[in-house]
Amino acid sequence: MSAPLLELRQLAKSFGGARALRGVDFDLRAGEVHALLGENGAGKSTLIKIVTGAHQPDTGTITVGGTRVADLTPATARALGIACIYQQPALFPDLTVAENIALRLESGGTLRRLDWTTRTQRAQELLQRVGARIAPSAEVRQLSMPEQQLVEIACALGAGARIVIMDEPTASLTQTEQHLLFAVVRELRKSGVGVIYISHRLEEIFALADRVTVLRDGESVGTHAVTAMDEAGLIRLMVGREVKQLYPPSESAPGETVLALRAVGCTASGVRDVTLELRAGEILGLAGLVGAGRTELARVLFGLTPADAGEITLRGERVTLRSPQDAVARGIAYVPEDRRRHGVVLEMPIEENMTMAIHRRIFRGAWLRFAAERSLALEFIRDLAVKCSGPTAVGGSLSGGNQQKISLARWLATKPRLLILDEPTQGVDVGAKSEIHKIIRRLAKEGLAVLLISSDLPEVLGMCDRIGVMRGGKLCAILPGKSDPHAVMAAALGTAEKGAV
Amino acid sequence: MNDSGTRDWKSLLLRHEMLLLYVLVAEWLFFYFAGTTTNRRGVIVGFGTVDRQFDILRHSCEIGLLALALTPVILTAGIDLSVGSLLGLCAILFGKFWHDAGMAIPVAAALALACGALGGALNATLITALRLPPLIVTLGTYSLFRGLAEAITRGAITYTDFPAGFLFVGQERWLGLPTQAWIFFLVASGVWVLVHRTTFGRSFRAIGFAPEGARYAGLPVERRLALAYVLAGLIAALAAIIYTARLGQAKADAGTGYELFAITAVVLGGTSIFGGTGSVHGTLLGVAAIAVLKNGLACLPVVMRMNAAEEMSGLLTGALLLLALTGSVLPRLWSQWRAHRSAAALPSPKPHTPT
Amino acid sequence: MNRYFRELSVVGALVVVLVAMAIFAPAFFQPQPLLSLVTREAPTLVVACGMALVIISRQIDISVGSIFSVVSVCAGLLAARGWPLALVLPAAAGIGALLGVVNGILVAGLRLPSIVVTLATMVTLRQGLNLVRQGEFVNMPDAVQWFGLPQTNGQWLLVGAALALLVLLGVAMRHVSAGRFVYAVGTDAEAARLAGIRPQLVTLLVFVFLGALTGCAAMMNIVQSPQVQPLSGMGLELKVIAAIVVGGVAISGGRGNLWGAFAGLLLLACVAPALTHLHVEAYWEKAIQGGIILLAVVADGVRSRKGRR
Repeated sequence: MSAPLLELRQLAKSFGGARALRGVDFDLRAGEVHALLGENGAGKSTLIKIVTGAHQPDTGTITVGGTRVADLTPATARALGIACIYQQPALFPDLTVAENIALRLESGGTLRRLDWTTRTQRAQELLQRVGARIAPSAEVRQLSMPEQQLVEIACALGAGARIVIMDEPTASLTQTEQHLLFAVVRELRKSGVGVIYISHRLEEIFALADRVTVLRDGESVGTHAVTAMDEAGLIRLMVGREVKQLYPPSESAPGETVLALRAVGCTASGVRDVTLELRAGEILGLAGLVGAGRTELARVLFGLTPADAGEITLRGERVTLRSPQDAVARGIAYVPEDRRRHGVVLEMPIEENMTMAIHRRIFRGAWLRFAAERSLALEFIRDLAVKCSGPTAVGGSLSGGNQQKISLARWLATKPRLLILDEPTQGVDVGAKSEIHKIIRRLAKEGLAVLLISSDLPEVLGMCDRIGVMRGGKLCAILPGKSDPHAVMAAALGTAEKGAV
Repeated sequence: MNDSGTRDWKSLLLRHEMLLLYVLVAEWLFFYFAGTTTNRRGVIVGFGTVDRQFDILRHSCEIGLLALALTPVILTAGIDLSVGSLLGLCAILFGKFWHDAGMAIPVAAALALACGALGGALNATLITALRLPPLIVTLGTYSLFRGLAEAITRGAITYTDFPAGFLFVGQERWLGLPTQAWIFFLVASGVWVLVHRTTFGRSFRAIGFAPEGARYAGLPVERRLALAYVLAGLIAALAAIIYTARLGQAKADAGTGYELFAITAVVLGGTSIFGGTGSVHGTLLGVAAIAVLKNGLACLPVVMRMNAAEEMSGLLTGALLLLALTGSVLPRLWSQWRAHRSAAALPSPKPHTPT
Repeated sequence: MNRYFRELSVVGALVVVLVAMAIFAPAFFQPQPLLSLVTREAPTLVVACGMALVIISRQIDISVGSIFSVVSVCAGLLAARGWPLALVLPAAAGIGALLGVVNGILVAGLRLPSIVVTLATMVTLRQGLNLVRQGEFVNMPDAVQWFGLPQTNGQWLLVGAALALLVLLGVAMRHVSAGRFVYAVGTDAEAARLAGIRPQLVTLLVFVFLGALTGCAAMMNIVQSPQVQPLSGMGLELKVIAAIVVGGVAISGGRGNLWGAFAGLLLLACVAPALTHLHVEAYWEKAIQGGIILLAVVADGVRSRKGRR
């Protein structure tokens, strides 16, 4: 057999202190679909970014078609026939499909005459090859997300890509669209293209892939022929490890019901039919894969995308949450996932960040009281052990973990009843992580109801009294806190029956 | 290391306003010596006289008010091009209320102020409710307000013969200072307090730095933005009344081009056109620098011979704005360039935009 | 929906206005005054072509009025000194392009917001011109007027040239790759960069191009009268931007085309004569223009909110 299309040897990559990849081997042959599997943060996206040239590896070698490539840039990757179809396609929204395809495929020449008939014909032809019924003259902004993905695939086909990477292509597809896509993938395989296929849906992997490589904590834990594996085996490989980290023990006894949701949904953000109860002093984990609707649910509860179905009850009182102001007034606090964009205003001092959500309470009559602000900030800085030069340091000067603490302090200052934490320890170093865990525990002990959204399975298992698992915008299972990690993963992947609610 | 960066940045801001103060003093001294002469009868004339200083104050009130109105708007990373036109419209309306509708001066003034706020509210509604860019909205109202002023006066009517009691506001002194200066200082302190001592100013900055971050912090972003634009309209109307009182007439072309001087004063005063950073005292210094320049030029013998004070000051103001803008981006360009050199050709990942 | 729906709706409005004129003020359609009207709008059309490119690339230039004035006076002075027209025309385009370079460097090179930059250059240029010329008119030699042709021929020449430019550029924007680069930069500069386009260069070039076209437009204007007025460009920027926005070019970049801008220009150009013919006072023109801008922006805003999923 000829040399593999793509061969990666001992790839390693660190970001700051965090090691994203620790020596991964991977190879892709012509005419195969090679699935890449792993939890969130296992290193899949880093691997993809190295292959597409967006990141440079620290160590390790990349060999494409038998030749070693020293430094891979996005341009050389494209020239080598590597194409990537992302979940969120990077197309020009205002231009037509034909033009988007043409802009990718035509090269150079500022004063080139454009032949729209050819452009349209080629687009038509490529779209037909991927089985898409999209008019080349349609504007991309009018297409649905899956249609845009098909346009991306058409672009890859047109560019004559030999290595096609698909990053969760079916995340937002309907059943029929999925089958269409599978047919396209099989077509690609038949024509000798190598496909790296990333998906969390195990049934897809069994339906489509020839081989599967499982990543865990930045390492490859094995490459296997799909025919030799079963679902349980794959889940075991993905979860694998023991819960190494020590989590502070639960000390709280759940009190009155703080939050009750009944069939809550929001069409705009895809949250459907969520029913749950959360009591004071309880930590409810929300597990699930990226795009399962967890952040979307949090945004519904915080009034950013108001619910349009179901009932939300807070401490026995039915409420409508139309804006963050509504939510804050009702004692809901939300520490968002993207702290650099949403959690902290990077240009503003720590103290101003900390009081931002309590303007009404601390600044009576809208009048700034600097002394009160300063003492509150100092208190929180001491209380949460924020490492900074002082309360006037700007948010952008802090490390990720300390920014997270600022964001947390802002919301603790509101003295909330319900605290929603969205990936509170993502991108935070180990020391700060365990500090944040201790803080969460303490808050629960003080009677706060905590909704903890996390993709870190050990964290969810170690911290939460109960675990809700979301999939496709729905809450599909609620499991007890000390559950088996395999059960949680199985529920998140959708291989288990609906759990007891 | 990061913290020292913070301090550097802070001191830079401090330096900016201090620097402006030095420029202002130097400018004043220059005109004092170059623009003051003794006429044939041995009387001191020109820049150095007390009367001239009061004139500067008097002439800078309207543009100063517009600059104060624009400071909160620009802090939110917005812009309002329509304030000059709104000044014209409100001046006309004020004249019409008084002259044609026969209202008492205070009633007419109150109504004109209300109309100014209404004009600001039109901007605010289009910008917040429909999420249209402030630039094009206020470009549209810039044309609309001026056009309405012209339509109401048919391009010809000028309202004059205002009562002396009203002209006192614009042409006389009260407690030693031009009357309108007192109003200006009152508004300036009000805006200063609003921006630097209340949660409103805090919100303006937060919105200017990070509109999404402000929303996630539970700040009422739309209401704060609306406040900034309505306040701008209200202050523009006040400027219209003072303008009318100073000149003793209300014309449709009142305040033409004032928006440029106001924006220049704000940017010169250290407020970033990209929002977030800036101060009201900086704006006041910017206003003073422009006013001294404008009036000082008129006193220079060489300019007087050319009879081109207006043009000179306009030219220099435009050039000054370009310089101030260029100066404001130099630190950013410098750091970008350094980052570019250290990180060679690492492409920046495209930020995900939620749809 | 039809790709040209937005443009056709403007054409529809134009037809309605024309029909109304045909019924209530048939005098409007006398050939000679109509030709004069169209000739007066020809320079505006040339500037609008350039401005459309700038707006499609998600920028704006409000200094065109001042550039127009400056070039008018410069070209007038050159012609008055006896330069042949064959030299004055390229000189006019060159001066315009040079002023465009200044705007372009400030916007593309320093990444300053184009609205504030061009606001500053607008005033600097206008006041500089006033300072130097003190509002003085320039008297032109007779040979310059209508390029030395009989008036009607000269008028047809100007209209023909403007229309030729429109058609050429309109076609190029769709059928030459450089035109599509402008759209790509306007719809998403970052994606354009990834596709191998240099957004900053495109931005610089559209400003230079607009400057050059404004220079040509100034030339087309000064041949129409025996004197050059230094204030001839006052308010041109608003007129042009209004026409373009009304014609469906999105101020947020990437959308619209020159045909729409042309229809928008015709519609707005009909407003003033329509007002006169329908016995509405002409003082309403500016207010109506502002209203139309706002209406168009609001309509586009509502439409794009609906269109987004």
